[in-house]
Amino acid sequence: MKVTYNWLKQYMDLSDITPDQIAETLTKGGLEVEGMEKTASATNLIIGKVLECVDHPDSDHLHVCQVDTGDSVRQIVCGAPNVAAGQKVIVALPGCILPGGEIKSGVIRGQKSDGMICALFELGVDRKQLTERQLSGIEVLPEDAVVGNREVLKYLNLDDTVFDVSLTPNRADCLSMWALAKEVGAMLNKKVTLPDYSYQAETIPATFKLESQTDKCPLFEGKIINHVVIKPSPKWLQDLLHSAGVKAINNVVDISNFVMLETGQPLHFYDLAKIPLREITVKTGLEETYTALDGIDYAIKPEDIMITTGGKAIGIAGVMGGDDSKIDDDTKGIIIEAATFNSVSIRNTARRLGLDTEASQHFIKGIDPLGGHKAVERSVQLLIELADASGIEETVLCGSNDYEGTVLNASVRKINGLLATDFTEDQIYSVFERLDFNPEKVDEDIIRTEIPSYRRDISVWQDLAEEVVRILGYENIGSTLPLIPTVQGGLSEKQKNKRTIQRILNGLGMNEIICYSLVSAAKINEGILSAGEPVEISNALSDERRYFRTSLLPSMLETASYNVARSNTEYGLFEIANVYNNNNEEQQHLSVALSAHKTVSRWQKLTDNNDFYTIKGIVIAILDKLGYAEKRLSFVPESSSQKVLHPNKSADVYLDRTLIGKIGIIHPACRKKYDLDECVLGEINLDAVYSIRNTKIKFTPIPRYPAVSYDLAMIVNEEVTGEQIIKTVKKAGNNLLRDVTIFDIYRGENIGAGNKSVAVSVTYQSDEKTLSEDDIREVHQTIIGRLKNNLKAVLRDS
Amino acid sequence: MSRNWDLLKKEFNDRIASAPSLQALEQLRIELLGKKGSVNALMQEMKNLLPEERKDFGMAVNNLKKSVETAIAGKLTELKENELNEKLAKEKIDITLPASDFTYGTLHPLTIVQQEIEDIFVAMGYAVVEGPEVEFDVYNFEKANIPADHPARDMQDTFYVDVERLLRTQTTAIQMRVLEAQGNKLPIKVICPGKVYRRDDDDATHSHQFTQIEGLVVGEGITQADLKGTLELFARSMFGPQREIRLRQSYFPFTEPSQEIDVSCHVCGGKGCSTCKGTGWIEILGSGMVHPHVLDMAGIESTKYSGFAFGIGVERTAMLKYGIDDIRNLYLNNLKFLRNYKRFD
Repeated sequence: MKVTYNWLKQYMDLSDITPDQIAETLTKGGLEVEGMEKTASATNLIIGKVLECVDHPDSDHLHVCQVDTGDSVRQIVCGAPNVAAGQKVIVALPGCILPGGEIKSGVIRGQKSDGMICALFELGVDRKQLTERQLSGIEVLPEDAVVGNREVLKYLNLDDTVFDVSLTPNRADCLSMWALAKEVGAMLNKKVTLPDYSYQAETIPATFKLESQTDKCPLFEGKIINHVVIKPSPKWLQDLLHSAGVKAINNVVDISNFVMLETGQPLHFYDLAKIPLREITVKTGLEETYTALDGIDYAIKPEDIMITTGGKAIGIAGVMGGDDSKIDDDTKGIIIEAATFNSVSIRNTARRLGLDTEASQHFIKGIDPLGGHKAVERSVQLLIELADASGIEETVLCGSNDYEGTVLNASVRKINGLLATDFTEDQIYSVFERLDFNPEKVDEDIIRTEIPSYRRDISVWQDLAEEVVRILGYENIGSTLPLIPTVQGGLSEKQKNKRTIQRILNGLGMNEIICYSLVSAAKINEGILSAGEPVEISNALSDERRYFRTSLLPSMLETASYNVARSNTEYGLFEIANVYNNNNEEQQHLSVALSAHKTVSRWQKLTDNNDFYTIKGIVIAILDKLGYAEKRLSFVPESSSQKVLHPNKSADVYLDRTLIGKIGIIHPACRKKYDLDECVLGEINLDAVYSIRNTKIKFTPIPRYPAVSYDLAMIVNEEVTGEQIIKTVKKAGNNLLRDVTIFDIYRGENIGAGNKSVAVSVTYQSDEKTLSEDDIREVHQTIIGRLKNNLKAVLRDS
Repeated sequence: MSRNWDLLKKEFNDRIASAPSLQALEQLRIELLGKKGSVNALMQEMKNLLPEERKDFGMAVNNLKKSVETAIAGKLTELKENELNEKLAKEKIDITLPASDFTYGTLHPLTIVQQEIEDIFVAMGYAVVEGPEVEFDVYNFEKANIPADHPARDMQDTFYVDVERLLRTQTTAIQMRVLEAQGNKLPIKVICPGKVYRRDDDDATHSHQFTQIEGLVVGEGITQADLKGTLELFARSMFGPQREIRLRQSYFPFTEPSQEIDVSCHVCGGKGCSTCKGTGWIEILGSGMVHPHVLDMAGIESTKYSGFAFGIGVERTAMLKYGIDDIRNLYLNNLKFLRNYKRFD
């Protein structure tokens, strides 16, 4: 919403208030001034008269002028084609600061120049508001301009400041200059006098039929003015419209725009001659192509509210009028429309048609329920004054105004209680007075208020408390801390776990990423640990962002690819985020990606490369830290037909019997698609993990007797897994067996194709004594026997 | 026959002291202390002496022997040390060569800021509560006092799933769930962090996905001054002990009165600079007293209880804190960017 200082000045005395003070007061009070601009900006201007103008001897377009500026006659070189002797002109004296820079005395092609003769745009006036003539030459002032007058901007009515006010949705009333003026007056504690819109004119009976066939138009006021005279608006009206960014057209159109600005009520004027039936019906249900005032065809749908006459559409209600009934130079009489339309319906229509007009904005944000009458009366008054209006018919009213005023009782005690202030009853009373709430003290502590029709945002006493504090100032609020019983705060277990995982992975040198949740259909299909059917956005901005992620790895792959393309070829990345399925189930997932190659020291040629066993180790480390011992985990070959992980270098991770994740080396096809080098990937469903009980730490005594280890080397078939060997040993072992680890795997010709040699270290320990060879001979032999029998192992060196 | 024992001792010690190497010292040891060495030769002389002379002579030879032994031991240590030093000198490395890479990983800057804010409020006794990102209209809007035709819905362009479901546009939705779940267990003191979504095209200052942290306190006798005091404490913890805050009237459908909160600029201290656009103040929070309709809808007696709520934009805070000029940087996850955020400061 744009409002100017001069516009506000019409309604109140601002002689002691600067534009800066207004901006500050408005912003503090909730009407944020987002920008402030001078209509023009120039210092050191003076009005001069061109006494003589001759061509510059050394230029084909410059002129050398002798200009009388009252105190002296100056020589000024001027390049404007329209400069001529006898003109009254605007002179920028040396030292004048213009938007384009400072003016200095100088010599132009051998001729002294002591200032500059100005065009309006050179003073910073918005080019959009100037005519072709004004844009192509200097401004020629009227004959009666006083030579030597230094108040040039004031003389030109350009000493104005435009405030760009950002309105919160509850203060749509301030889209009306009158309501805004009231607000400014209340904040500055100034008396506001709005124009009196009564008029002295005979009205004649209405010759006009009005009907609304839809509940989306509950109120419609129409009025015929049989005779108007189209001509340009007076300068004051043009100036005010310009300052609000509205182009002046002619007196009648200008009045409709001006009154909308004043009252916030959109108006539409129809050319009476173009509605010969003198009948207007508001209806829905049309489906046709309609050409609006802007000359563009719009596809009208049955839900749109349309203005019709004789069954023919003449306007899109509340959005834009039609071309064939608009006011033009030949208009002799008009019909005034001031209506209330359903805001949701107008919003839908305006959005669908892409027509964000001033009128639609007002309807969408909400209008003053009593605004229509005000606007019609003000229009008639101005039409009489500026367009010689006559033949004024009585207003035709269709529908009813069921507006009931709001009356609220304010308790001084409650207001002070909520705000923790000690405002007196008189202070609070005065706020309501300043806001035109018509206060009345009705009881001890109670002030009765009547809320004006345009303040539709006020409905409960807390709203009144807000009015009190914003007008009297938030600086009256003290600082305390809540005095309430202590409650248990802190992070939940799950939140703590998230931080634990972040710390572990940071400790491994990995960087956390945060990706967009919305992805394409292709990314959904790439998910390897999908939460299920994806949630689809019905009004997505693009196909790229149509679905909520069901798995994190696709975004991870995209991020890895993005980084590799930017020479970040060694990476360790992780993300912890929520995924959803269409059954409103939420899962917190962890995704991880590590480049296979990792340099530790380049010049020493040291690397610490990542492979399947790296990600396996990371998963074990994280789960161990969260209270899930390694022995509860199992890694089984990944079985699905996905093309993200290598089919034979990947695993499904189970915690007890629950699938919690998938890990592996990237599939060559996926690698190619994302233009990546070999990397290691994993995704874990953390909620699946947390659904399983973890174990707490228990004290285990420190062993008092030494452990003994024996190595076993065996040749087994390739198909025998490490896990099988370890399980076989563990199963065969007794209570002295403490640990089994694989420490070597060897393949070679000497042990035969299809075989491998596996060496394990078996550790025994007792809580009661130092073990001798005799103590473990039996169990060790059992283990060897079991390996031979169950795994067809051939033991070496034993 | 008398000998100059001192002269002899000196002669031996001088020879030991000037031994150039371990081998030379060993040879000298054999020469002096060996079976056929000088000391033994002196011992042999003893049997030629008179019995009364033997005692003194014996003591003198023993003294000489001890002195030689001590001198050799001393010299041995010295020579070994020299040898080690020479060896160490040859082992000298260039300590200016690059270190091996053991860089600690980084948290995403949004996580750093979120955790910092969480920790400030946790220290004040707040619980951290999260909620679903795919949310029901009723929690995101209806219960937050934003019915279907409310103009405030235009403030927040929404991604809809269907008529009931949407991507939450504000973490207020979590607050509404907390009010519903804990309305009978007052007081409530929570902060609610999370991702939110708006149907906005991404540019330098807009992102269709961003992060909010909202706070909610409901109890008996909670006032506007409690809100100010709490957020003053927060602003000083987050941006430094010298910070002041100021409240400006604003509008949120779920609070009444509502304010924007400005913090005095942490860069210039309030004098005015490019970070605060010359105003000395930076807008950082939205806040207000919980609207009575919101309490009533949650079944909490608004005549008896009151509360305050506030919301912080995590992206905005991170951008201010680190001087990030384009919000999209936060979602590109370029390692060159991420690796900047090493410290938790």
